[in-house]
Parts: sequence; C-alpha cells; structure tokens
Amino acid sequence: MEYHPLPQPDEIEVRVREDAMGAYFMMFATTAMGLPLPILNLVAAVIYYYVNRDKGKFVQFHTLQSLYSQIPVTLLNSGLVAWTIVNFVKDFDFTGFYWGYLVMCACAGLIYFIFSIVGAVKARKGIFYYFVFFGKVAYHQVYRIRPKYGTSAPENRPPSY
Amino acid sequence: MRRSILKDLLILLGVFALIWLLASLFNYPDKPKLLSIEKEERLGEAYVDLILLNPMFRELENEKIDSAVSMIGDRLEANLEHSDYLYNFVVFDSKMINAFTVPGGNILISSGLIAFCDSPEELASVMAHEMGHVEERHVVSRLIKELGIDILTSGDQYVLGEVTGLLTSTSFDRKQEEEADRFAAELLERSSIEPRTLATFFRKLEEESDNELMKHFEIISTHPNFSSRIREALSYEPADDFKALPMDLDWEGIQAGL
Ligand SMILES: [Zn+2]
Repeated sequence: MEYHPLPQPDEIEVRVREDAMGAYFMMFATTAMGLPLPILNLVAAVIYYYVNRDKGKFVQFHTLQSLYSQIPVTLLNSGLVAWTIVNFVKDFDFTGFYWGYLVMCACAGLIYFIFSIVGAVKARKGIFYYFVFFGKVAYHQVYRIRPKYGTSAPENRPPSY
Repeated sequence: MRRSILKDLLILLGVFALIWLLASLFNYPDKPKLLSIEKEERLGEAYVDLILLNPMFRELENEKIDSAVSMIGDRLEANLEHSDYLYNFVVFDSKMINAFTVPGGNILISSGLIAFCDSPEELASVMAHEMGHVEERHVVSRLIKELGIDILTSGDQYVLGEVTGLLTSTSFDRKQEEEADRFAAELLERSSIEPRTLATFFRKLEEESDNELMKHFEIISTHPNFSSRIREALSYEPADDFKALPMDLDWEGIQAGL
C-alpha cells in the first residue's frame, strides 16, 4: 500500500496549523456540550469534519484523529448515562461492575483529554502526532494513495484453476 | 499497516477491559454503614425494651416455646457464613400472626405465628427471612432514610417511642422482600432445612390472605407480587447432595402449650 509523502513542519502554513489545532479544541467543545446527551457531540464533530475537509490533508488528518478518538469516549459516556438512568428508574443496585465502568469512563476521558492537548500543541507546530490506533487509522485514511478511477474498469483475466 | 492498526486496537481494548475489571474488583461500600453495628445493637436493645412494654407485645413466658425457638435460631445462626450480629429471638404473646425485625439482630415472633406454623421448618423459614432483613440492614437503612441519622441516634425518648411505632408496622419494598426470600432459601439449605418450605408457607399465607390476624405481617405486605414470590421460592434448587435434617422437636406438644 502506498501513501502520499508527508509535508515537513516548515512546509505547512501557519493558518493550516491553526486550523488543525482548532480541530482538537472544537472536539473538546462539542464533548463538553454533548455530556448530557453524548450522541449530539458526535453529530457536531462530523459536521465540523465536513466543513474543514477542503483545508488540506494536514487539517484532515488532525480532524479525523480527533473525531475518531472521540467516538469511543462518547459511546462509553452514553453507556454510562444509560446505565445510570436504568439503575435509578428500576431501582437496581450500583454494583462494583458499574463503578468499575465509571472508573474506566473517567480514565478514557482523561486520556482523551491529555492526548488531545498534546495533539493540538503539536499540530500548531506543524508536527504529526499519532494517537495509539486512531492516529494510524486517520493517517491511513487521509494519506493512502487511492487507486484512480478507471482502474476499476473491466479487465480480462484468464480462468482461475 | 492493517496488522499494526489491529494490534493497536487489541492493545487498547485489552487495557480498558483490564481497567474495568480491576476497578470492578475494588470493594465499593454498597450498604449504609453510617450506623456502626455497636450503636445499632444499643439502639435495638432500647427498642425491644420499649416494644415489650406495650400490652400488645408482651413477652410470652413459656420455657418450652423459648427453647424450641432458640433451638431453631441456633441452627440457623450456626450456618450463617458471616454475621456481625448476635441474634436475639423474642416470642411475644399475641393472637396476631406476625414476626418482625428490630435493629441489632432482634427478631420478634408472635405466639400466633407459632400456632399458625404446621412445622418447626415453617417457623424456621420465617425466621430465616427476617434474618435476611437483618443481614441486609433493611430496617436500619429504612430508618436512616426516613428519619436521618441524626434523629435516629439522638437517644431522645420521644424519638425512641416513634421509632418503635415504625418498627412494629414495618413494610419493605419488593426488592428487599426478594432479597430476604433469597437469603432465607440459601440459609435454610445450608441449615439442612428444605428451602422450598418458604413457598409452602407463602401459599398458606396467600390462602388466608383475608385473615384479619395477619394484617400486620410484613412478609405479606407486598401483596400484588405474592404469587411471583411463591414461584421464585419454589424454583430454588438445592444442591444435588442436599439432605433435609428434621428438627428434633415435638411440634404439636409445643403448640399445645400455647
Ligand atoms: Zn420481609
């Protein structure tokens, strides 16, 4: 699989760097906004991605990385909200399993927060900073060289044995 | 690249699953321990003394019955896995079919209930149910919820009187009843008493549910779901090697002395 070459920090315009940094902060704002109903912030984040799509691959990469890493945090939080409501409505016990989940959500939120800050600072400096997993996925999606249209045209091949 | 992404994902999932697991194992306090056991026992003693002063709950002086009840109680207590309480079973003289729990491990049983039970096992199943309320601290949590810890522990005579009034007419919510039933079934099994006796006893209660004598009995205060509790009690499956050990009591002889 081939990838587009990465630009070096001095090749990236300041305005582009600022847009990339903005992506992380934007995701923060939506996360905080979406806390009572965590799915909302995902919608906001996706809209933000589409608005900024044409600002170049560097911005796209950071926006996607931020968006992807937000998804599991949002899902975890949604689960927590749902679990809490169910417990209250049905008068279930708050088990160790529940508290463990809460701790896990808090850890995920904290890690997401720290990584996003670092990501934002690096983006401002024009540096690629890869989150575990999400960084690779975002890179793969943005910088992979996609096969050109036309190569998918019918192609004759000998029979397979 | 794909392999590397997959590896990252697995590591991430593993780390968070581990966090969840470890954090779940941590012992979270799930019961209100605001009231220490010692304090609860002291309060409980005062409540029992006050309740027994009431002519409706006069203590029954009958050695035969006392020794039968403590024999059943000892058997159950000996099979508790762990308990902070020292149990005190008191039989009071009343035609009412009734049994209730007073904080500190005190369980009050009416002579009417003893007459109503066809076997010592039936009485044991009620006692085990009440012990469930004690161990799960249902009474204490309810009192704390209704009165607040400060009023409850104030030691004021008037409050004491009010609390005893509450105690003699306690009712629990459905969840607490189910917990107590479950606890009773398990304790009965460990004590070599057929755990499904509870279902038999419930059915008898249900048949006589119009009986005025049992209108204060907390065990049936959650009326609408009584049949589901019978079903639940019946569906309890004792271990394969379970063997009931009959109570060595002349039950009819004991009841004749009432
Ligand atoms: Zn009960």
